[in-house]
Amino acid sequence: MIEYDYKKPESLEEVFGLLKEYGPRAALIAGGTDVMVNIRNTKKAPEVLISLRGLKDLRYIKKNNGYHIGALTTHRMLELSELVKTELSALYDGASCIGSVQVRNVATIGGNICNAAPSADTAGPLLVLDARVVLEGPEGRRSVPIYEFFTGTYKTVRKQDEVLVEFQIPAEMEHFGSAYWKYSRRKAMNLPILGVSVSLKLDNETISDARIGLTVAAPTPVRAYKAEEFLKERQLTDDVLKEAGKIAASPDCCSPRDSLRGEAWYRREIIEVYVARMARIAAENIKNR
Amino acid sequence: MSDHLFVGKSIPRTIEADKVTGKAVYIDDMKRPGMLYGKILYSRYAHARIKSIDTSRAKKLAGVRAVLTGRDIPDARVGFLKDQTVLKKDVVRQFRDEVAAVAAISPEIAAEAVDLIEVEYEELPAVFDPFEAMKEEAPLVHEVDARGRPVKSNMLPLPWKFEAGDIEQGRKDSAFVVTDNVSTTWVNQCCMGTSGCIAEFDTSNNLTLYNQTNVIFGHIGRITEYFSQIGLKGKKIRVVNAIVGGSFGTKLDTDIYEFISIQLALKTRKPVKILFDREEEFQALPPRQPAVFTIEQGCDRDGRLTFRKCEAILDNGAYTSWGATTPSVMIMPMSSLYRVPNVFFKATCVYTNNIYCQAMRGYGNPQATFAVETSMDTLAEAAGIDPLEFRMINRNHPGDETPMRLKITSCGFEECINAVKEKLKWDEKKGKQKGRGLGMASLIHVAGGARVTRSDGHGMVVKVDEYGHVDVIESGTDQGQGSPTVITQIVAEALGVRPEDVFLTFGDTALALWDAGTHASRHTFMAGNAAVRACAKAKKQILDMAVEHMAKIIKGGFKRKKRKDPDFVEPDLDYGLIADPENLDIRDRMVFPKKDPDHPYFRIPVSQVLREGLLGSGESKVVVAEAFYDPPTEMLDREFKGNLSQTYAFGASGVEVEVDEKTGEVKILNLVAAHDVGKAMNPTLLLGQIYGAAYTGVGYGLTEEIKVVNGRVMNPSFRDYQMLTAMDVVPIEPVIVEPMDEDGPYGAKGVGEPGLVPTAPAIANAVYDAIGVRITDLPITPEKVLAALKEKG
Ligand SMILES: Cc1cc2nc3c(=O)[nH]c(=O)nc-3n(C[C@H](O)[C@H](O)[C@H](O)COP(=O)(O)OP(=O)(O)OC[C@H]3O[C@@H](n4cnc5c(N)ncnc54)[C@H](O)[C@@H]3O)c2cc1C
Repeated sequence: MIEYDYKKPESLEEVFGLLKEYGPRAALIAGGTDVMVNIRNTKKAPEVLISLRGLKDLRYIKKNNGYHIGALTTHRMLELSELVKTELSALYDGASCIGSVQVRNVATIGGNICNAAPSADTAGPLLVLDARVVLEGPEGRRSVPIYEFFTGTYKTVRKQDEVLVEFQIPAEMEHFGSAYWKYSRRKAMNLPILGVSVSLKLDNETISDARIGLTVAAPTPVRAYKAEEFLKERQLTDDVLKEAGKIAASPDCCSPRDSLRGEAWYRREIIEVYVARMARIAAENIKNR
Repeated sequence: MSDHLFVGKSIPRTIEADKVTGKAVYIDDMKRPGMLYGKILYSRYAHARIKSIDTSRAKKLAGVRAVLTGRDIPDARVGFLKDQTVLKKDVVRQFRDEVAAVAAISPEIAAEAVDLIEVEYEELPAVFDPFEAMKEEAPLVHEVDARGRPVKSNMLPLPWKFEAGDIEQGRKDSAFVVTDNVSTTWVNQCCMGTSGCIAEFDTSNNLTLYNQTNVIFGHIGRITEYFSQIGLKGKKIRVVNAIVGGSFGTKLDTDIYEFISIQLALKTRKPVKILFDREEEFQALPPRQPAVFTIEQGCDRDGRLTFRKCEAILDNGAYTSWGATTPSVMIMPMSSLYRVPNVFFKATCVYTNNIYCQAMRGYGNPQATFAVETSMDTLAEAAGIDPLEFRMINRNHPGDETPMRLKITSCGFEECINAVKEKLKWDEKKGKQKGRGLGMASLIHVAGGARVTRSDGHGMVVKVDEYGHVDVIESGTDQGQGSPTVITQIVAEALGVRPEDVFLTFGDTALALWDAGTHASRHTFMAGNAAVRACAKAKKQILDMAVEHMAKIIKGGFKRKKRKDPDFVEPDLDYGLIADPENLDIRDRMVFPKKDPDHPYFRIPVSQVLREGLLGSGESKVVVAEAFYDPPTEMLDREFKGNLSQTYAFGASGVEVEVDEKTGEVKILNLVAAHDVGKAMNPTLLLGQIYGAAYTGVGYGLTEEIKVVNGRVMNPSFRDYQMLTAMDVVPIEPVIVEPMDEDGPYGAKGVGEPGLVPTAPAIANAVYDAIGVRITDLPITPEKVLAALKEKG
């Protein structure tokens, strides 16, 4: 029997207290869809699970001088939010393809990002939406751009005594269109073989700004900066997008591996094809506002 | 013709309400007093010598009741070729080899104890490729055979060779000849209910095995054989099934875990349950047999097949279960799918250090049909004939006798091909679209039993009580296939009651009459025929009672009426109308004279007759009848020829696909599944079988694959094993062809397996039509498609 204690504090202060009391013997749990699977797989559990589910006020999606998403917001809430669907389309794409409705009903965006799997479906979208991760500890709050948040596979800059409380997306993103493509073999209950996120801003048919995020293409979700640079101030044409895809798929931007789920050469092909396709959809999404 | 009340109607499933409400007792739910939980320790190597096993720490763990290794139990050999022992003592030959087993008071303690067993191995050279394994210098998987005689090669001593006609003559008669190499891989049956059983001995060592097999009597045979080797000769074995959470072939053989639970129960004198977790289900349960085929076919100028020659290599894995016998079924499509006069087929099974295989829906037929139908397309192209037309030219006809000596009776093959043509708009769309394509494939399968054991019979007992309730003692297995509802419909129809009056008891060898098993798509056909016969007998008994008691019951009614109403005048009736059972009938719970079904006095509830006959005055009787149906079919002879089934199913699948030429992704736009089913007994349930089988076929064609690397299953979970989900359903247009089979119950034939068989080759052929690239290795993954496209340039 794998045994552990379970605490369900009602406030952040209580969480900090418990984190301090138990130190490394405790772990946070939100929806539990990564935590519980890990416990079962490794047959090991921390001494105490500190549930964040009592922090009811950390479940929200707001637009108020930029976008604010509470860490305990479930994927299902994101999926059902009109605001997310129309203005943060990539995040809608990412959240709505996670697991199944049952999983999305409990799993949170905070958990998806703190777990820091290279395959996290909301990571790429948050990367191209320029999200900042807001962490709160006993000493107060700090915010980190998401591209600095992941330090390795399943590793982040979060300190042991910190809780992720919010994602902030700058108001400027209002002018961007975005899209995410999860490449997988079936339509539900699957991790991506590859994920491609694109956001861009258009000035007539000129791409004035762009972000490209790649998931399962490196040890952490990454931005394809070189490809982004290439796109800037160029026309939105098939040739340009194709070239951007090529750059994104090159070793300059990613380092996909051969794994059980997919071969590296094939992942690069998918990046090349889907960067262009997602850029088109991102552009469409601006018009569809 | 069809004045049936229940047969042919889509009445809802009868016994599924308990399943969806959680009331049904599966093996997972089943508990026996004092029951212990067993757990198995598997090998850490694909091939190794066991140097030592230390069980002392496991034995000391609180709650552990027994720890067994190969040294603790007799060396008895089990399996189809008797090539393994229950626990492996000296050598392990695959990762799933059972090295030790534990019984404990909880599953968690059992699992913990297994982790405490220390085994020291000395690794041996292993072989994972059947072609490598056939080479002279390859390491031997088995050094000796079942009788201890030294073995020289990894090739199994199995006789799978079929010849009919003259291949050389066929070649001479050919205007076009093609050769193709195709291959298929391992796929898991993916039952919702994982493997498991409870073994329990009484004080005198008689065994009750709580189980979920679809061959209850086959289990008794195999365990009896085992008992005679371990000093339990003559002991009684009773198999009792829990509700079965799917089978698809997995419950056809007696698996090693079952023998282990028997050994643990013997040792502890307690009931012992073993239940697989999903990972075990992927790693330690034999999946579908993979095969590699080289197939050559020819046709004349008119497109008539002249010969078919095929050689298959099967990676047998380390031991032998039913997988090694799948060539016996492959012979059927090889020899008999389409008219082909000259046939040669040879299959070689080769031991490797991979996992071994068993049955799965279709039993070798999907693999072989993938080979035949790939070749049909390439040959049609070589001959310049439209592939659908080519199949039409070569289709089987009613009255044919095939080279295997199958006697084709009812055969709706032509209608099936035409349905594909029409529904897919074949002539309009075929060969025209860039990136879009059409493809088709067909099938033949046994549909009237399959005489693979000497008796292919099915026994049934029907018992009617004084309320008109009917108990049917079914010797088959309800594994979720829906045929229990069909049997209920048949019994209600044949006996004249309603479906809600019929209660089926499944899967208890102490009650049931013999049955060859619920496999080979045979349950509706065999149990249906037994039901028709048993019900005819029971009905006769009831009608005899009616003749004896009806007049008395009716007159008694008059008497009572008269008592209440002195003015009542008893009508003058012709009691001769109800004096002969031949003149009476029962329908919808009422007994009545055939000549005057709505007679104002002679139409009475059958329950009245039953109460009088069973419990009333005079000589009381029972209504109970049994029937044993065993069709006049033949076992295959030494040349693998013979009419092993009473009738055969035909069908054709047509697929329209769209291929993304940049990514290699294949999308199914439409799947037409046309099936000759004899007669649709329950259209809704029939569609369930067709949809389910077709979707499994889509998985087989596009996504499913057990990844085995150096003998180890690398994707033992639904996360990594890409079985399709409800979100992945593709549009299916089913077409039901009903030629009415004269030997089937109410005209029905079997349909459980057929839908799966032609799906994958139809997809492959459609992909070829769409992009001009042929994928000959299942599954058709985007990687393979893209790589092939790049190679084509
Ligand atoms: C069946 C199934 C299907 C899945 N499918 C997908 C999929 O398609 N795509 C995908 O990306 N993922 C998938 N997942 C993984 C998982 O559901 C997601 O990663 C999910 O978002 C995790 O959220 P959670 O709230 O359940 O996290 P939990 O499991 O509760 O936590 C995950 C990690 O984050 C930490 N954590 C959680 N919240 C905070 C916080 N506020 N502050 C600090 N640390 C925190 C926890 O300590 C833990 O380390 C699937 C999981 C399952 C079981």
